[in-house]
Amino acid sequence: MEGDRIEEVRLVHSPVDEISHLALDIGGSLIKMVYFSTSREQPIDKTQINASRDSHAVSRSSKDGHLLNGRLYFLKFETSKINECLDFISSKQLHYRGLQHCGFPASDKNIIKATGGGAFKFADLFKEKLGISLDKVEEMSSLVSGANFLLKAVPSEAFTYVNGQRNYVQIDHNDLYPYLLVNIGSGVSMIKVDGDGKYERVSGTSVGGGTFWGLGKLLTKCKSFDDLLEMSHQGNNRVIDMLVGDIYGGMDYLKIGLSSTAIASSFGKAVSENRELEEYRPEDVARSLLRMISNNIGQIAYLNALRFGLKKIFFGGFFIRGHAYTMDTISVAVDFWSKGEAKAMFLRHEGFLGALGAFMNYQLVEEFPDTIHLAGEKNRNPLVGDLNDNGVIECCVQARPAVED
Amino acid sequence: MDGLRKDQSLVGATDNINEETNNITQKVISEGGEETMVPPVGNSIHRSSSRPQLDLSGAAIQGNFEERDPTILLPNQSDDISHLALDIGGSLIKLVYFSRHEDRVVNDKRKKSAKERFGVSNGNIRRTFPILGGRLHFVKFETAKINECLEFIHSKQLHRGDNDNAVIKVYTMFEKATGGGAYKFADLFKEKLGVSIEKEDEMDCLVAGANFLLKAIRHEAFTHKEGHKEFVQIDHNDLYPYLLVNIGSGVSMIKVDGDGKFQRVSGTNVGGGTYWGLGRLLTKCKSFDELLELSQRGDNSSIDMLVGDIYGGLDYSKIGLSASTIASSFGKAISENKEIEDYRPEDISLSLLRMISYNIGQISYLTALQLGIKRIFFGGFFIRGHAYTMDTISFAIQFWSKGGAQAMFLRHEGFLGALGAFMSYEKHGLDDLMVHQLVERFPMGAPYTGGKIHGPPLGDLNEKARWIQGPDLVCSNQKGTYFICNLLQISWMEKFVRKGIKITAPVPTASPRTTGLGGFEAPSSKGDTLRCDESNLNVGVLHLVPSLEVFPLLADPKTYEPNTIDLADPNELEYWFTVLSEHLPDLVDKAVASEGGTDDARRRGDAFARAFSAHLARLMEEPAAYGKLSLANLLELREECLREFNFFDAYSTIKHRENEASLAETRLLTLIEGVLAANIFDWGSRACVDLYHKGTIIEIYRMSRKKMQRPWRVDDFDAFKERMGFGDKKHQRHKRALLFVDNSGADVVVLVANSLPALNDVTAMELPEIVAEAAKHCDILRGAAEAGGLLMDAMINIQDSPREKSSSTPLMVVENGCGSPCIDLRQVSSELAAAAKDADLVCCFNILYIYLVILEGMGRALHTNYNARFKCDALKLAMVKNQRLAEKLIKGNIYDCVCRYEPAN
Repeated sequence: MEGDRIEEVRLVHSPVDEISHLALDIGGSLIKMVYFSTSREQPIDKTQINASRDSHAVSRSSKDGHLLNGRLYFLKFETSKINECLDFISSKQLHYRGLQHCGFPASDKNIIKATGGGAFKFADLFKEKLGISLDKVEEMSSLVSGANFLLKAVPSEAFTYVNGQRNYVQIDHNDLYPYLLVNIGSGVSMIKVDGDGKYERVSGTSVGGGTFWGLGKLLTKCKSFDDLLEMSHQGNNRVIDMLVGDIYGGMDYLKIGLSSTAIASSFGKAVSENRELEEYRPEDVARSLLRMISNNIGQIAYLNALRFGLKKIFFGGFFIRGHAYTMDTISVAVDFWSKGEAKAMFLRHEGFLGALGAFMNYQLVEEFPDTIHLAGEKNRNPLVGDLNDNGVIECCVQARPAVED
Repeated sequence: MDGLRKDQSLVGATDNINEETNNITQKVISEGGEETMVPPVGNSIHRSSSRPQLDLSGAAIQGNFEERDPTILLPNQSDDISHLALDIGGSLIKLVYFSRHEDRVVNDKRKKSAKERFGVSNGNIRRTFPILGGRLHFVKFETAKINECLEFIHSKQLHRGDNDNAVIKVYTMFEKATGGGAYKFADLFKEKLGVSIEKEDEMDCLVAGANFLLKAIRHEAFTHKEGHKEFVQIDHNDLYPYLLVNIGSGVSMIKVDGDGKFQRVSGTNVGGGTYWGLGRLLTKCKSFDELLELSQRGDNSSIDMLVGDIYGGLDYSKIGLSASTIASSFGKAISENKEIEDYRPEDISLSLLRMISYNIGQISYLTALQLGIKRIFFGGFFIRGHAYTMDTISFAIQFWSKGGAQAMFLRHEGFLGALGAFMSYEKHGLDDLMVHQLVERFPMGAPYTGGKIHGPPLGDLNEKARWIQGPDLVCSNQKGTYFICNLLQISWMEKFVRKGIKITAPVPTASPRTTGLGGFEAPSSKGDTLRCDESNLNVGVLHLVPSLEVFPLLADPKTYEPNTIDLADPNELEYWFTVLSEHLPDLVDKAVASEGGTDDARRRGDAFARAFSAHLARLMEEPAAYGKLSLANLLELREECLREFNFFDAYSTIKHRENEASLAETRLLTLIEGVLAANIFDWGSRACVDLYHKGTIIEIYRMSRKKMQRPWRVDDFDAFKERMGFGDKKHQRHKRALLFVDNSGADVVVLVANSLPALNDVTAMELPEIVAEAAKHCDILRGAAEAGGLLMDAMINIQDSPREKSSSTPLMVVENGCGSPCIDLRQVSSELAAAAKDADLVCCFNILYIYLVILEGMGRALHTNYNARFKCDALKLAMVKNQRLAEKLIKGNIYDCVCRYEPAN
């Protein structure tokens, strides 16, 4: 499924010869990739990097701060099709060129920053196929530094989603912490973030994106996550879910504050009707599943925020994918359980938090809060201008060697 | 003697079963309408007029006259006499009803005199109005067979109120979403029974039900970790607030602050309906139970993405997750090119179960945390006593709270709603019941009260005996509709041959008079990887005995634990099960003989053996099935089981003979010697039974008297002698001594000769006769008995001056209200309680020490109460007739004696 879009990116955004610095987030279902490329429009700054420079020279030059203007590219692959990813890296020679640009010592040139469980699992594969060692970056810290970077550096990164309307939230950098970061990948991690590098995984749930996709695949025979999401858009969950109204005869059960359309039991109607799976529309099944999972995540996230007195909850991870209905359900859940006190916030680059965090681990990126703008914005409809699939951030990095620590 | 010992210690021994078998009436004693209406004396407020009274006009026997306990139709009752409440669910109908159980009117001079003497109706201080005793029954039916339910209600006359507008309270009627429709049921009930059904508020019901259970039943709540149940004692004064999580189709979380004070604080739409609904779609299972059953053989790692799958088998220890932690439920289904059909339904079911259980546990914990609630109770149909479900929820709570919180479950969880609906009747009279006023019994003939449903209820004893006997009999004697009964039998019996349990057949294998068990096909294909869900907890009949009280002389009722041996230890459990099993054939012989050895008696004896074996098997499999298991309960269960098959006194013949044969006189040392020696006469002990077969009882008695040379193994005799005034120091005489007698026979004589001022015998009904007989031989006794109002010709005196100093110390007999050879002093009869706290003395705390409690016999003094502490002097006497117990308790040998004297401090 990713083929088309990757192609598109390749054509539109990624000039082959200027790519550098690649980081991976290899999750259970998807591989997320972030790489930096100097852009064609903005030629490389005064930097003239000599590949043969010795380490002493490099460290000196870093003090000078060689700035590169370029773009951050965001790509994803299915983990099950990891070969596509390997081919992509191989064809682009990303690993090779990027390192050259940065002037790493020769001994380190076959290292790529990577995070996610797959960084462990596929380490041998990368070594064998590409001769690359994966420098494993701890997953939570990647997520957090990715999120911190986005929230501080990218304007209009966070938004609320209410009644189908995105409202971008201006984040006050001085009042960012603490916040709850809910990363919805295959599973869900909930991280309390208190500052740069200061965080704690406080909760999580196994009912996440993997559940949606996995169950959805079994129930609908859908071939891809996106198809499943798309289907859910056209579904009606009332066919399968038992609503409060179904139980209380169409009247709101006001005593406990539930409206008749509230879901009393997800898939509860499937219990009694003598309908087989095939007799349900896949769209309805997908919708019901999506609501169940989104609502559940929203609820658990809110309860955890409440527990730690956190006012801001950011949702990220590949499950959301800027999907309107998903965000809507999560927002409604948080709103419902908090009685309007809390708002769910989403990130435009939600899927790439980990990969971005791993990328940050190169320690290339200086503070550039005001210089970043999103290249993708120009090319996309702002209303659906999420960057979940593939996108670009125009930015400027400082080339310096990785700090050995 | 050595050889004898060896043999005996091998077979082991149980204690004192005989004395219990004849006092059925005491056991389930209920203060019937008339009796409780006796106006309380003293200053307690009499409000009985506001409470129901039985109107006996128009009473008629309903049904078969040959039944031992025919239903008596009392048509002129006020409408709260017999209550019935229902919970009509999608698959099961739960029924809770209350039946008055009239004490057979005992015109027993003993009882009357004792009552009057102690002012019993005044004894229960807490109660401001009389509560009628009775039984609370819990019954299940399959919803698909609602007609059985209707017939049952009809046959029991449960729906009969005193007016035509009788209403049955209902917790839920499953709704159109589940296919049935409330109207259908309403019509059905109107048509068949002429009653209306009225739906009660669900949450009101749940809370009322849970509050009742948690307050009234001692071992109701339990934790469940790694397959192990542990009952939790809830302090009634510290019950609130708690979080009640009801897992039905969806999940409601209710914060309960008190009676009728609660709030729904949270919930989730991912509940039982989700499990079943999704499970049905994914596995094509036909029922919830089938789905649950599947999960037992599942392996969720084939479909869930585990932390190990993501991290390549490494634990992700930094965030505290192990490799086997589920990272993403159903996450593996993503990447593999498999269709539904390629996955095992078992795996899917398990994965789904874990997902939902964890999720509920997590949200419950977070909710409780948010509200600062410590206790979380789970209930609802989703759980169904399913071990894995409870484990998963417990694990989630444990995990997320880092051990700070515990999930608790309720044994009557399935009846929460129906019970709550029952409580919603305005006058059920159960509000003020205290824990000690309830006794739970587990009759065999209540398939409905067990975990599973197997066929229609059993009407009478014949049916029960047939049902328990075997498929052939059932088939030939019953209507076709009763065939299903076999199922229960098989499902219970299969436990006998379960692998891994040493006792493969805790049943008499060959007994001359019983056919024993065997011949049953025994499916035993239970996987070992996951625990099975046969852990459905049994729910017995709750006997409401308002006259029961906590024994007032207990030093600290709160910490009092009657049982000396902890059956939580699997070795102990197995040992005692073996003992009971091996003793069974002999017991059956005795029981059958006591009923004249007729064919009918034999048939019942056989049925009893099967029934009790089934109980044992059930308990072996799931020791917590009937609540917290103890030796006392176990022995009581056996007595109850005997009574159930109409063996009211299995040892009656023997007792009678021995009582006559063994009247003798003694003095203090010989008294205690006598008690100890006579204590050998014990049909509960296998060792003793073997002994008796070799000689007459009196010979043995004499022989054992010789053996009784001091010092005994535990010997406080001198201290006791000193206290009794035989030493140099002068002591105030005990004002009243309470002697808990056990075995009938020789020791009764000893008691009598002992002239102790008050007696309590479990066979309180027959003791007066024995005393009267003995009095013919002994003047002291005669005087005492007269003074105590036991002898007819002395009756006149008691009204006048019961406490006037007479030449003799009065001797009285009271019942202890207990139904076991062991005694639980938290639940004794009000008669005994009154005897222990004479109205004059209650306020005078310093007088208590002049009381003396004598516990005698293995059941009362060793199995239970060996470690009990009293406010007054206590003497514990017993001969240890069990090698293992002797080693464990007193580091001695079988037939060692215990004379433990504990002065009040």
